[in-house]
Amino acid sequence: MNFQATTMKISDLADNTGEWLRGTGSESDIVISSRIRLARNVARFPFLLRANAKQKKELEEIVSNKIKEAAITQDLCYINLADITPVDRLFLVERHLISKEHAGGDGDRGVAFGKSETISLMVNEEDHLRIQVIRSGFEMKEAWKTIDEIDNKLEKKISYAYSSRFGYLTACPTNVGTGMRASVMLHLPALGMTHHIEKVFNAVMKLGLVVRGLYGEGTQVSGDLYQISNQFTLGKSELEIIEIIESVIPRITSYERMARKALLSESREQLEDRVWRSYGMLKVARTMTSEEMMHLLSQVRMGVNLGIINDVEMKTLNELFILTLPGHLQKLEGRELDSTQRNIIRASYVRTRLEKIKN
Amino acid sequence: MKCESCNKKHATVHLTEIVGNVKKERHLCEECAQSVNTQLAKIPSPSEILTSLINQVAPEIGEMSKTVCPVCGLSYLEFRSHGRLGCPIDYTIFKKGLVPLLEKMHSSTQHVGKVPSRAGKELIKKNELVQLRNELNKAVEKEDYEKAAELRDKIYELSGNNDEDQ
Repeated sequence: MNFQATTMKISDLADNTGEWLRGTGSESDIVISSRIRLARNVARFPFLLRANAKQKKELEEIVSNKIKEAAITQDLCYINLADITPVDRLFLVERHLISKEHAGGDGDRGVAFGKSETISLMVNEEDHLRIQVIRSGFEMKEAWKTIDEIDNKLEKKISYAYSSRFGYLTACPTNVGTGMRASVMLHLPALGMTHHIEKVFNAVMKLGLVVRGLYGEGTQVSGDLYQISNQFTLGKSELEIIEIIESVIPRITSYERMARKALLSESREQLEDRVWRSYGMLKVARTMTSEEMMHLLSQVRMGVNLGIINDVEMKTLNELFILTLPGHLQKLEGRELDSTQRNIIRASYVRTRLEKIKN
Repeated sequence: MKCESCNKKHATVHLTEIVGNVKKERHLCEECAQSVNTQLAKIPSPSEILTSLINQVAPEIGEMSKTVCPVCGLSYLEFRSHGRLGCPIDYTIFKKGLVPLLEKMHSSTQHVGKVPSRAGKELIKKNELVQLRNELNKAVEKEDYEKAAELRDKIYELSGNNDEDQ
């Protein structure tokens, strides 16, 4: 089994988005996606912090070859990140196919992913291998099933660093044990508007979960999008961790729905005004920052969920969150753009997308 | 500046003493400083201060501070400063420091999740060996030597294949 000709160009991805943005799956009005990643390291090799260039290269070759041999899916392609431009790397980050750290790293490292972009395997990120599965909506168990199978296939080819006491050994002790981070991306505009979001976070933290921004650790919250994930990786089994998340998320989503209902009944006109103004702005603006775009898209998305706006598909809005990010705009245009240029192109891109709907 | 006390040597020790609102400065040479003020002689060296501070914050670091992994060369202090380990063996070498840290991070220090099938086979084998040895002991106690010989052969057979793990 070979990788599809690696020539599957990154630009081929640019006018599409991954399957996980389809807006399907359980609770997809609020839960955008469910993601699981597993951290794995190859036995008898130093972690990357202590690996020299030669070892890194060797690891990259071994792991990428084993991924090939493991025949995970038909259409997996592999990209060596050292061979592509910073804009392409940024593009992959925005797509959630690689992490910021992976993009910004150095030396031999790469990523394998399938056409649907639900599976990605990062080689030489913080750990030798990080497997990731993303699904649209609240589909944690399904994501686990997929990633567990991939891990089983790889485990037959790669001898993982593992101890019966500490489990899967990882470069950072915050990941040791299961090596698993399970996270759910939530859209919580009403809780934000009604200032109840803090309460949710405090409750969530008490259960050993963490709240992060759209792109994981240390990233800002924008567009009312939040990621909730497990903090503990040791002392609980993968399924126990998933069950904790599965038990918490429905409480948060119903809280968000309640907040939306309350807004509708107490200040319907104001809410509708906000939603329509945002929609209008998206249709007419001539220049727009990424931050403003996220904010407006968030309002419109809620408007669609509440039936205030009926002519935009959820999928379109979900996609626009990603397609209007700096890396994507630059890929779309096929050249590097400064922020002023990006703001103009962003506004015009969204206008065009929304105009199409009208007809 | 000459030493205030002996007026001969260079003052290399500069003391500032604040009692209430009164600030008093003293400039002494090292010898005088030591003899004049017995307290001075007891002033710990910067490295001692650091060690005691570290011991207050994280007691395991003092003990572990000289530990270096023979495989990857990472020292425990380096690990503590950037939070990343150098190789899988570090989990064994730094165990003493890591266990309390893991307890704080995860409220646990024992993995209960997935077992890779490779490691799984080893675990199963280990358990089987333990069981066979117990049976062997019982057989010997009962003077059932035929059974004991049988068990012994089984044990040899199982442990003979034991080349995977290390």
